[in-house]
Amino acid sequence: MRRTWLALALYPLLWSTAPAQRQKDHGTMVIVFGQEATLPIPTLARGKANQDVADLLFLRLMRVGPELVTAGDRGFVPELARSFTRRDSLTLAFELDPRARWHDGRPVTANDVVFAFGRGRDPAIDPSHALLLRNLASVTAEGSQRVVIRFSKVYGEQLYDAVWHIQPLPAHLLDTIPSDQIATSTYAAAPVGSGAYRWVRRDAGRQTVLAAMPDFFLGRPRIDRVVILLARDPEAQLNLILDGTADALENSSPTTTLPRLRVRPEYRLVPLPSFGVGYLLFNQRSYGDRSQPHPILADRGVRRALAMALDRAQLVRATLGDFGSVAEGPVAQLHWIRDPNGRATGYDPQAARRLLAERGWRDTDGDGTLDRNGQPLLLRLNFPGTSAVRNNMAVQIQEHFRRIGVRLELVRLDGPVWAERRGKGEFEIDFSQAVMDPSPAGLVQSWSCAGRGGSNVAQYCNPAVDSLIDRAMASRTGALPLWREAVRTINSDTPAVFLFTPVSGVIVHRRYADLNLRPEAIWSQLWRWRVTPGQQIPRDLTPP
Amino acid sequence: MIAWLLRRLAQAALTFAASLLLLFMLMRATPGDPLARLEGDVPLSTEEATMLKARFGLDQPLGAQLGTWLRGLTRGELGLSIAHYPDRVETLLISRLPATLLLGGTVLLFNFTIGIWLGVLQAMHRGRRLDRWLGRLSLAGYATPSFWLGLVLIALISHRWGLLPAAQMNDPLMAADASRGIRTVDLIRHLILPVLTLALVTVGGTMRYQRMAMLQVLRQDYVRAARARGLSPRRVLWRHTWRNAVFPVLTLFGLWLPMLVTGSVFVEYVFNWPGIGSLTAEAIAARDYPLLMGTAILASGMVVLGGVITDVGYLLLDPRIREP
Repeated sequence: MRRTWLALALYPLLWSTAPAQRQKDHGTMVIVFGQEATLPIPTLARGKANQDVADLLFLRLMRVGPELVTAGDRGFVPELARSFTRRDSLTLAFELDPRARWHDGRPVTANDVVFAFGRGRDPAIDPSHALLLRNLASVTAEGSQRVVIRFSKVYGEQLYDAVWHIQPLPAHLLDTIPSDQIATSTYAAAPVGSGAYRWVRRDAGRQTVLAAMPDFFLGRPRIDRVVILLARDPEAQLNLILDGTADALENSSPTTTLPRLRVRPEYRLVPLPSFGVGYLLFNQRSYGDRSQPHPILADRGVRRALAMALDRAQLVRATLGDFGSVAEGPVAQLHWIRDPNGRATGYDPQAARRLLAERGWRDTDGDGTLDRNGQPLLLRLNFPGTSAVRNNMAVQIQEHFRRIGVRLELVRLDGPVWAERRGKGEFEIDFSQAVMDPSPAGLVQSWSCAGRGGSNVAQYCNPAVDSLIDRAMASRTGALPLWREAVRTINSDTPAVFLFTPVSGVIVHRRYADLNLRPEAIWSQLWRWRVTPGQQIPRDLTPP
Repeated sequence: MIAWLLRRLAQAALTFAASLLLLFMLMRATPGDPLARLEGDVPLSTEEATMLKARFGLDQPLGAQLGTWLRGLTRGELGLSIAHYPDRVETLLISRLPATLLLGGTVLLFNFTIGIWLGVLQAMHRGRRLDRWLGRLSLAGYATPSFWLGLVLIALISHRWGLLPAAQMNDPLMAADASRGIRTVDLIRHLILPVLTLALVTVGGTMRYQRMAMLQVLRQDYVRAARARGLSPRRVLWRHTWRNAVFPVLTLFGLWLPMLVTGSVFVEYVFNWPGIGSLTAEAIAARDYPLLMGTAILASGMVVLGGVITDVGYLLLDPRIREP
């Protein structure tokens, strides 16, 4: 008891007198996550938190370059593979960096790469990766340092598919564990990776601790220790920053955060453009009977009129401020295929009214709502109640539609109910927000005829778009104009109103320098960060 | 008495089993697919959905799912959490229970020591300034939403004055070899604000219950007789008055007992307290059926146990109930 009181008295002193044992630009980082990384293992990782931690623990063969171009063979940055050679139009050979090591000290070999691809290509183990890797014909080892990947067809994103989706796994630790037991194995409880950080421990429901690998072959990390705190509530997340407990937080609603952050000038908000797009998805099939076209939304003219009714620039400004921009199609601001001169349907409420009138929608009873054959122009918008941005914007959209005589009923749903209805196509208009890969190939899932029954929940189908996407994907040099033409055609069909591409804000303590936040893998380059000399705080001085 | 106790326990067990069965069915009947949100806004492919349904037994008929769950329950296994995969439900509950017990236990302790004392104090000063002020304060506390109070306390005590941490149960950078003393101090620092929040909004109920019960007993003839016999005021108060005025508070205690393990959702969220309350809220939001059933076992169990403890307490304290 006496010791407890003594500790109480000495508490502040003990906290501030940690010995200065670390180099002057080294430090610690405490990051707040909204979800817990329970399984940060490639081929098993699901969800953003798991993938973010997996990106700290595991390297890829190569990563996408700063231009984020996924087609062709240029711009990729070496990681586990120091180089590659193209043997022919169907074959790539990768030379592994002989310095690469697993965290247990064993060298990373071609066998590890083959093992990971074996898992990723097996639909019984990992159906989502198996789909992404469907064009790989074989992955073989030539000796211990060379991996040869053969493709079943010629297409533009061969290198991207070969290096991005799969992070090699340590075969020497995993090949004896049955594939369906890896998730519950001792390996999963303490993963061994090849990245700049090694696993230290996870306190379930609280935090995960990682430590730097001092002999990391790409360079010694200067952030020696990474503590990932779990806080699900956005208010609690921000409180951890405001009381100085945490150093960094990826914040999804920076517009509301920014004013509150002003009381803590030692933090800054770093804008980070994303691969996300928010859009109103029009269901082209009847709400009740999926075999029938939707009585209102199957008409392209009505869809275009609805698009013209929305002042998207104003919606984005009012909701996202500087942290978002108007989407000009189903591609995010960062996608390399985005056409800077591309324009989706513009704001023109008068033209929208005319277009609807041409289709027989007139306000015959003077109640402010258009009608046809006695039926009012009434539509329902489904959206998840948990999304602040979509809640806010939905109310404004309702008002924009009201101005042209369209009555919009807002259906605010619990997250799982909203997702279930969306997946089953039980909606008229759905307020969706998709976060995509750097590759535009994701357009196939949502906007092609082949995607119907899967991600294309609104049943949009235009064979011309399919043809353009197929040709764009097959092309190794001239893909860009084809992609842009596909996007223009989708915009012209208006299967959705593409509203915004959000910019997230990452709150970071100002003592860190050389920030390198990657939109496609946010914390993957953390090992390059450092603490500005002279600005270390006590936590930076405590040995990890 | 033993026969009564056995009957009461059998009744409690039946209530417990029926509530679990009902919860199992109701959860499945609730709209919302537990797998629908695993990939964010992107729907799962058919192959993935099939694999995940098989993993969590969701491809089985309802009866088979119930059978599997009951068989697991007999072995102490509550299945795999869907949202926290690959964590097991029992592991999650065990890891979160200490935090909830600590928070709930501390709040209960405050409630039923300070609350009772203040309630008695009010009754003894009935109609006077102290009674009036304590009455107003207890009502104000009772009417205050806990999450709002929590945010206000954080804004003032933590952000403005920097006296206490705003969230978490412990310092995330605590050295692994830190002494028990340091750890205890750190824990107390993190515990103060959530306990204060919960205690301030709940103590009013105990005070008012205790005050009313005391006032009723103070009017009784036997209290007047005890005073007339020349017993000391302290003896009259605690032995003759309070003992007979404790029953309503005992009932209240039985109702509060489940909070020990179910936690407080709002306060746990606001203070990022890693307890059962926030875990339950997450399970509901994600339709994590196995985890929901795990938390339901705890909640139902404590509600039923609270009832039994109250009844047994009455039995022990009031001889009249023991009479046939």
